[in-house]
Amino acid sequence: MVRRYILQRLLHLLVILFGATFLSFALMHTVSTDTVDVLYTLNGNANAAVAAAKRASLGLDRTFLVQYGDWLWRILHGDMGNSFVSGEPVLTTILQKLPATMELMVLALLMTILAALPLGILAALHRDRFWDQAVRIFSFLGNAMPDFFTALLLLYLFAVHWHLFSFLDASRLPVLPALTLSIAMTAKSIRQVRAVFLDELSKTYVQAALVRGLPVNTVLLHYVLRSVLAPLLALLGVSAGSLLGGAAIVESIFLWDGIGKLAVDAILLRDYPVIQAYVIWMCVIYVGVNLLMDLLSAFLDPRVAERGSDQ
Amino acid sequence: MHRMERIWKELGMAVLIGSILLLGGCGTKEAAREKGKVFHYGTMAYGPAMQNAGLDPHDSYCGWSAVRYGVGETLFKFDQNMHVQPWVAESYKQMDDYTLEIRIRDTVTFSNGKPVTGEAVKKCLEDLMKRHDRAPHDLKIDRITAEGQKVTIHSKEKVPALINYLADPYGAIIDVDAGIKNRIAVGTGPYVAVHVDDKGIELKKNEKYWGEVKPKLDRIVVRSITDGDTLAMAMQSGELDAVQGLPYESLKNFSDASKYRISSCATSRVYQAAMNFKTPVLQDNRVRQAIVMAIDKQQFVHVLLNDNGEAAVGAFPVHTDFGKGLHVPSYDLEGARKLLAEAGYTEKDADGYVMKNGQPLSLRWLTYTSRQELPLLAEYAQSQLKKIGIKLNVNATDNYKDFLKRGEYDIYAQAMVTAPTGDPEYYLMSKIASGQPYNNGYYTNSRVDQLISQLHNTFDRSERNRLAIEIQQQVLDDNAVLYVSFLRMSFVMKKNVTGFAAHPSDYYEITPELDL
Amino acid sequence: MISSRKRRFQSCLVLVVLLLLSCLCWQWLVPFDPYAQDLGKALRPPDGVHLFGTDRYGRDLFSRVLAGGQLTVFSALAVVLTASVTGSLIGLICGYRPGKTATLLLRLADVFLAFPSMVFAIAVAGILGGGTFNAGIAIVLVAWPKYTRLACSTVLPLRHEPFIEAARMSGCTDGQILFQQILPLAVGPLAVTAALDVGTVIAELAGLSFLGLGTAPPAAEWGSMMSGSRNLLQSAPWTVLAPGLGIFLTVAVCQLFADALRDYVDEKG
Repeated sequence: MVRRYILQRLLHLLVILFGATFLSFALMHTVSTDTVDVLYTLNGNANAAVAAAKRASLGLDRTFLVQYGDWLWRILHGDMGNSFVSGEPVLTTILQKLPATMELMVLALLMTILAALPLGILAALHRDRFWDQAVRIFSFLGNAMPDFFTALLLLYLFAVHWHLFSFLDASRLPVLPALTLSIAMTAKSIRQVRAVFLDELSKTYVQAALVRGLPVNTVLLHYVLRSVLAPLLALLGVSAGSLLGGAAIVESIFLWDGIGKLAVDAILLRDYPVIQAYVIWMCVIYVGVNLLMDLLSAFLDPRVAERGSDQ
Repeated sequence: MHRMERIWKELGMAVLIGSILLLGGCGTKEAAREKGKVFHYGTMAYGPAMQNAGLDPHDSYCGWSAVRYGVGETLFKFDQNMHVQPWVAESYKQMDDYTLEIRIRDTVTFSNGKPVTGEAVKKCLEDLMKRHDRAPHDLKIDRITAEGQKVTIHSKEKVPALINYLADPYGAIIDVDAGIKNRIAVGTGPYVAVHVDDKGIELKKNEKYWGEVKPKLDRIVVRSITDGDTLAMAMQSGELDAVQGLPYESLKNFSDASKYRISSCATSRVYQAAMNFKTPVLQDNRVRQAIVMAIDKQQFVHVLLNDNGEAAVGAFPVHTDFGKGLHVPSYDLEGARKLLAEAGYTEKDADGYVMKNGQPLSLRWLTYTSRQELPLLAEYAQSQLKKIGIKLNVNATDNYKDFLKRGEYDIYAQAMVTAPTGDPEYYLMSKIASGQPYNNGYYTNSRVDQLISQLHNTFDRSERNRLAIEIQQQVLDDNAVLYVSFLRMSFVMKKNVTGFAAHPSDYYEITPELDL
Repeated sequence: MISSRKRRFQSCLVLVVLLLLSCLCWQWLVPFDPYAQDLGKALRPPDGVHLFGTDRYGRDLFSRVLAGGQLTVFSALAVVLTASVTGSLIGLICGYRPGKTATLLLRLADVFLAFPSMVFAIAVAGILGGGTFNAGIAIVLVAWPKYTRLACSTVLPLRHEPFIEAARMSGCTDGQILFQQILPLAVGPLAVTAALDVGTVIAELAGLSFLGLGTAPPAAEWGSMMSGSRNLLQSAPWTVLAPGLGIFLTVAVCQLFADALRDYVDEKG
């Protein structure tokens, strides 16, 4: 059952990736300026003949479908093209920067779990009382603060005020960028954690267990936590998406040399191969993380897989 | 329920304390003090986005990095007045309109110890012509001959500004035989690159430097920081010794003279607005002049740029030889209103915008946001033009090239360096001459065209300057382009930094004089 | 209990209406012209005359925050409405009429769902160019599948419920059944999701503004006001905090409303 489920999900992944490649490629062709326009006017100097030659050498003078087919074929062979700007193979560049972004993501997810879970439970246990309201206000704040604002605020406090952050030491853990991301993330998920727990706590088996005199923590840790694990894992999978998006902004501010910063630079320069590779890789990671979360919940609770393969 | 609450509260506290510890742990800086004099430099101007992440001058804009960070030196350099002075070259002689003879200094050596000979320079320039994208079109070199310390350049056509072009950073002299390894070229400058990547450059002292002033620092770390706020905070935190490219607003945070020093200097980067002559209402010179008269350049520079600029008259700064003696209509709202009335805009609509034949006067102002001053200018112009009854629709988009291509604009405001090589021809040729792809206003004036072609064929400096001024005055009389202000660039440094000064060319940053 | 939830819902509704009204009627509420520049009064800190201080053009920030509400809140609402209505309709139809087309549409939704939303928004806005409209489109494109999934999963089990069968027997058209019988049952969770989305969309639009891909500078929009003044965070913090307050209040009102709505719907269900 579980194996069929996995196969099905992998097939699903392929369909999604095909759609994603087509979509990201098609988008690039809806605008009338191309990379060459950008490349040769950035600093004011340009020459029509040079531009035309560059255009031909990049293959930008061919029709859309030919370019797409060619591109897809090469991607299937592990060649994501060369950056229009640096000339380096895109795949190499991405693989170089990927670990940094993954490190940031994992740390941010961890911090989110560590903060959202206890705070959400706290709010659920104290429904409509002080802690619940405090958590609620935190959630408003976290949701209202754009990523860049949180980032600048933290940077100001930790770097300028308390001298606790080094800009130049690259060996550090990305604690501040991860904190920035996890503040927004925690604000979003804390409400859902609270809702999930409230829902579970009101169920008869919990009430019955409590009435029978089982210690509350035993009930909470052994029964409630286990049964809310699946929705929580799904929640985490979905949050990975906004983490990836937020990474673009946060990495630029904190000088974290990952994929997000790469993408922002590439967009500025209309470096198509890099933008396309970025979109595809983000999809792979996002879908991959979600797949992992699904499999994990299927492993923890086989009923999920049964339900899943019916769809 | 009570115990449960307590446990969760304790857990919450533990998380809080844990994260504080985590933050504290990451904050402990590299305790070991580095040996010798080390200079940490943060810049906005380096990186893949600027196409200068590398030190090979023959690769797009990497020459800028080579010259800026003291690795490469060009045959000629610019002084504070943007006059060409010999550098690696000792002297030059214009043999005829097509032949230039350059003598190389006897004492110059590459950082690997090899002497810079005429042959080495020839090889370098040939490699430049072969590999660089812009240089061949500027230099138009037919062939090069070398003999001893003498290099002779034979041109395909007349290139009066040839020595200016040779002072462009792409002309940095490198040892071609040594090759390019990991983006590092072997130059003649006071510092030698140790490591180069997209994030920055690490340099060490060139022990064999040929110049009289020897480099004083043991190590220099150049770090690319492309976000203005991050850059400002990195400087404030004390980790950097100097920074380049701070946003104007951040400069206020460094006004404490007991801690910081600011070196600034006007450049030839101009903020200009070209009128689109294809727009019917703008074909009336009175309307164009009214627009020019409605902009208070002094106030714009003073308030919105915090005096980090210089009000402009023509395309080139007043202190250059080809920017003097120009005149434009002065700021005068009343005069502007009168001109509009003369042009037939006598009625007014409900919102106070002037009308002619029932049509309100409304214009589209196209600009982009990647230069922080341009949106400021757009918003300022919008409010000023409203005062004389012109409705300005601002379109500030980084997709501006789409709009340019489709011609969907009446005024196009942009920033550009007008005299990167201390010579006026390039700007006038590409932005003002009729039918040029970058003449975004489609401005044509046969007198201007004739003067520009005359400029193209004139070698005499003072005659070139005179022509450039005459051309600009005609452009200004036609109110074809509104020149608002020039950028003033600033370096902020710690008080103990010496020998670090902004240069009008924007090419020279790290020099042998730099010290801590 | 019942009445307290209803009361809370009603008071939150009043808050929402107040917010929308202030966004709509800012012309009558502002003490100064939000677009009138007076460079002589640039960057004044908050005082009795200028409640929130002035920005670098000497414009009154209180007036600008009020004026900015219209563009910010209504563009966010437009984005959420477009995404939720389109998404829900597709979802309803897919759930009610499963088949090849429905499968295709759901797979399409999956493709869009596979894009992390901000990543896709950055890519789309980066490609189409910035501006409120393009940024909005970018966010709509990634927001709709969520509603499709939700609507579809609500409708799917209802399809064979006796009361639907009964409606069908009595000659109701599919459209009637969908809109009269099924929609009212699905609308609760959809509305809650939408209300929560408003705040997220405002923050996402602000993020795009930071990257230079959102609303272009001259317009008053909270996110772009914040990102446009971020250099002033240290020297004139009020320029950043004033629009931030606008975002905070809006997000708070939307979430309170969503919570109240959820409780109210739960109770009715």
